[in-house]
Amino acid sequence: MNGPHMITLSKAKRLEVSGLGKSYGTLSILSNLTLTVEPGAFICIVGPSGVGKTTLLRCLSGLAAPSEGSVSVGGIVITEPQAEIGLVFQDYRGSLMPWMRTLENVAFPLEGRGVPKAERNRIALACLADVGLENAAESYPWQLSGGMQQRVAIARALAYDAHILLMDEPFGSLDAQTRLGLEDLVLALRKRLKISVIVVTHDIDEAVYLADRVVVLAGKPATVVDCVDIDLGYDRDQIRTKSDPRFVEYRNRVLGQIMA
Amino acid sequence: MTKTRRALSRRLLDIAALWWLPVCLFLLWLVGSSGSTNFYFPPLSRILSVLWRDLTTGSLPGDMATSLGNMGAGLFFAVLLGVFCGLLIGEYATVRRALTPTLNFLRSVPPAAIVPIVIIALGIGSAPKIFIIALTCFWPVCLNTIDGVRGISPQLVDTARAFRIPRLLYFRRVLLMAALPQILAGVRIAIAVALVLMVISEFFGASAGLGFYINENKQRFAMAETWAGTLLVGLLGYLLSTLFLRIERWLLAWYFQDADASGRATG
Repeated sequence: MNGPHMITLSKAKRLEVSGLGKSYGTLSILSNLTLTVEPGAFICIVGPSGVGKTTLLRCLSGLAAPSEGSVSVGGIVITEPQAEIGLVFQDYRGSLMPWMRTLENVAFPLEGRGVPKAERNRIALACLADVGLENAAESYPWQLSGGMQQRVAIARALAYDAHILLMDEPFGSLDAQTRLGLEDLVLALRKRLKISVIVVTHDIDEAVYLADRVVVLAGKPATVVDCVDIDLGYDRDQIRTKSDPRFVEYRNRVLGQIMA
Repeated sequence: MTKTRRALSRRLLDIAALWWLPVCLFLLWLVGSSGSTNFYFPPLSRILSVLWRDLTTGSLPGDMATSLGNMGAGLFFAVLLGVFCGLLIGEYATVRRALTPTLNFLRSVPPAAIVPIVIIALGIGSAPKIFIIALTCFWPVCLNTIDGVRGISPQLVDTARAFRIPRLLYFRRVLLMAALPQILAGVRIAIAVALVLMVISEFFGASAGLGFYINENKQRFAMAETWAGTLLVGLLGYLLSTLFLRIERWLLAWYFQDADASGRATG
């Protein structure tokens, strides 16, 4: 799985969280949180609702500044959003610009980077093809289903040439079938593009199925209570993997941590 | 056959629902005033024939061009400045704090009260009219833009930040678009206000325009002409707001369809 050959092939930089704490006023949400995401790794961060997963993700993405400790990418401490990191929000409806067609939505971050129009449209179209939406380039978000909108958001993060994909409960509000399809899509993208992926989720099955390593958050303020390396191989399968006895074992271990 | 007939009768019903009142009022006025000998209320048929005469051979086309030119120029400056200031005030809390008390005072001054001062200061050409229209229409556009900017979804703001969209591009492609429904609602109000001020501003120190036409004929006690001018202003107002509604629907097609698809109310 996450062997040394992966690390050398991935273009992603190492993401390190050290002693991270975040509080709003007197309310402390995260405390002394330490975590390393190796290049090309697939990390799932799980925890019960309200534990502070989204706060952590905002700190990782540079949208929120840590109160203590630091987040660094490639050894450099970040204080604002990075070109290296592509973000996929939980609320896909709200994160696509409703006045832009799919292609414009995907190409928009590149426009911000000054990429010429023809070039950014070419990249955007290629990324839409990556998520199987090359035929929806001219549609508006409202014309797409929830799963398709989330795929557009993923394509946008890919087009941005992010080597670290940060996803906040990306499949939480989708129906089961769409959800499974998107899980496999993200696994396939990670395998092909050699990117690092960090998914925040409350769904333990999803976390174990996707990740090389599951990071369990718990407590108030929240901190890392367990890191479970998931040794289920690089290629996963919704039926085969999930019926593997080791899958069940991992799942129960994570579940036990969260229930504790 | 029955299907097309039913569709046809439904269309006729729709048209009837829209037009029954205007048509009834028109007929009532036409019939009710037909034998009028009252000096102040000439028969509608006379008003219409005067209107036709002055439109085809008289000064009305020129007056209309002058008035609409002033109104267009005034609205143009109002929208340009209103949107520009509204975006800045809405986006930056410091700008908002620094300007809010002043803005609240300035917008409480009734526009008509400024007309005499402006005419004394700027003379009797087009400049004072354009100035008054621009000044007054600035408020609904600016205030609505502020509201629109402040109502942007935090998700979109986060998205723009996460993808490091530069400020200028953010203003142009995110903030402006997010506020557009509110901005256009402000422009709609501004058009109605502009029409009023267009007429009022031409009552004083003017030598052309629809307001001038109405006022001039009133002073000559030419009641049919006065009525004709008034009727024309009303029709223009109606046409302008209908036209604008079309433009709004076109510019905001994404917005209305998005609202339809998600069941959001659009007001």
